[in-house]
Amino acid sequence: MLGAAAVLCVAPLALGSYQLYLAQLMMINVIAAAGLNLLTGNCGQISLCHSSFMAIGAYASALVVIRTGLSFLPALAIGTFAAALLGACLGYPARRLSGLYLALVTLGFLQLVQILIEEFPELTGGVRGLSVPKPQVLGYAIRSDFALYYVLLGAAAFAVFLADNLQRSRFGRAFNAVRQSAFAAQALGIPLGRTKLVAFTLAAGFAGLSGGLMAVAVGFMDPTEFGISTSLRQITFIVVGGLGSVAGSVLGAVLLTGLPEFLRGTQEYADLVYAAILLGSLLFMPRGIKGLLDDLWSLRLVRKPATP
Amino acid sequence: MTLLSLEGVSVSFGGVAAVREVAMRIEAGEIRGLIGPNGAGKTSLINAIAGVVTPQSGSIRFEDREITRLAPERISSLGVGRTFQHVELFRDETVIENVLTGLYRHHVYGLAPAMLGLRRGAEAQARREAAELLRMFELSSFAHARAGDLPFGIQKRVDLARAIAARPKLLLLDEPVSGMSEAEANAAIATARSLAHERGVTLLIVEHNMRVMMRLAERITVMHRGRVLAEGTPAEVSADPAVIDAYLGEVAHA
Ligand SMILES: Nc1ncnc2c1ncn2[C@@H]1O[C@H](COP(=O)(O)OP(=O)(O)OP(=O)(O)O)[C@@H](O)[C@H]1O
Ligand SMILES: [Mg+2]
Repeated sequence: MLGAAAVLCVAPLALGSYQLYLAQLMMINVIAAAGLNLLTGNCGQISLCHSSFMAIGAYASALVVIRTGLSFLPALAIGTFAAALLGACLGYPARRLSGLYLALVTLGFLQLVQILIEEFPELTGGVRGLSVPKPQVLGYAIRSDFALYYVLLGAAAFAVFLADNLQRSRFGRAFNAVRQSAFAAQALGIPLGRTKLVAFTLAAGFAGLSGGLMAVAVGFMDPTEFGISTSLRQITFIVVGGLGSVAGSVLGAVLLTGLPEFLRGTQEYADLVYAAILLGSLLFMPRGIKGLLDDLWSLRLVRKPATP
Repeated sequence: MTLLSLEGVSVSFGGVAAVREVAMRIEAGEIRGLIGPNGAGKTSLINAIAGVVTPQSGSIRFEDREITRLAPERISSLGVGRTFQHVELFRDETVIENVLTGLYRHHVYGLAPAMLGLRRGAEAQARREAAELLRMFELSSFAHARAGDLPFGIQKRVDLARAIAARPKLLLLDEPVSGMSEAEANAAIATARSLAHERGVTLLIVEHNMRVMMRLAERITVMHRGRVLAEGTPAEVSADPAVIDAYLGEVAHA
């Protein structure tokens, strides 16, 4: 644990600027994946619009800075809150849906957000995009990628801390209960609708935070970055890393974030590789890398037999 | 005091009338048996009380409160617990996590403290209570086993422990000892019974095994083809010609 923390703290010193940028994207994706994993991995609700909440967090926080001159941190908080609020607005009707219907509704929401971004170019920059000013934290402008890396590392660590605590609380148990047996959950007094609504809201909040950070890390917002392929990528992260596990979110996001960058310029090809990885993982590694590691670990331990 | 009362309760699925005009009264502190041949409507009746299916007609009252159209989680939080005939465990979770989930409504804390990790006190209490329940049901050695990997009889015990964790006033047990050996069944029943007594839990138990039922229940309600056929002490019921007929008829068909 401490070793990993030390590596993460000194890593930027050894990285080139492109690698540093990838490391920043990893942190951003860790936050988004941790949120999606609560909703999909734990609570069992599919979402195809996770990237839309990243967009909401990104545009809201950037526009607050541009339009009101508020500094980065409060703007980021506003963006996160806005995403969580809209997550609740979507979650309220969606809490009664599951499976195919939920997939369709979240896909519809994704389209809606895309259209809104494109239809209000005077505000959002539309299809031409929007440049995002360098962030100011506590009065200091963060100009170097170094400093930004540490901001992102702190944010990712905080998000992982929150998700991990939540997962091991009564709320995490309620999420897992709703996913595995709605009947049993209800019989124990766990409200299905409210539990799903909490999961939708939290997932959107994590995505909003991630999006707000992405805006400043990339420095420019391209609305196509918040489309369906980003949503599918987030799903791939958690499936490959391990559904329902915070460690899985981290593993998936970190290991796979490099991929689209290496495959850059051949966008369709990148999506194909992602699809192949997603399918392969679902077929051959249903519990993800985290599950694989657990299995490897338990092979070395002498397990008690299940029956006495 | 009457804890649960049913009047004219009917449940049907499409054309199948599973429960017809059932009236029943259960006193607080009672241990009530519910028996009947396969398809008699016992599980459907339990589902109706728990709010999982909505009766076409009739009224169900718990502690003098109409619960007929309440959501299952509302009925549960009023104090009606249940187990499942075909266990409904959270299969991917460990046994102790299953029981901890049963404590959802107790040791309560909010979302913000949960996320910030400021809930150690409540969690420690919950863990102690869960561990104690596991000990009572002789499940301690399975605490960290994945629930879905366990044999059916042990899963049944986990289901029972989890239901009791929710601290119900009325507990509906749907064939709680099916799949257990005679010895396991006796132990589980002894535990359930003494817990019920200690905590003042009223039990409604569906069970096929007449021997078990005779020892356990104070009164027995017999259902047949959706209707209540007879009700009385175990001795009365087992001597009732209509009951014998229903069961013998069933045996003759089989
Ligand atoms: N969800 C359902 N849909 C359609 N029919 C159902 C459903 N549930 C129960 N039934 C029917 O209702 C009748 C009563 O079933 P129920 O399961 O309540 O009986 P039971 O007394 O619990 O039987 P068993 O001893 O076999 O558990 C049966 O004819 C059954 O086929
Ligand atoms: Mg039944």
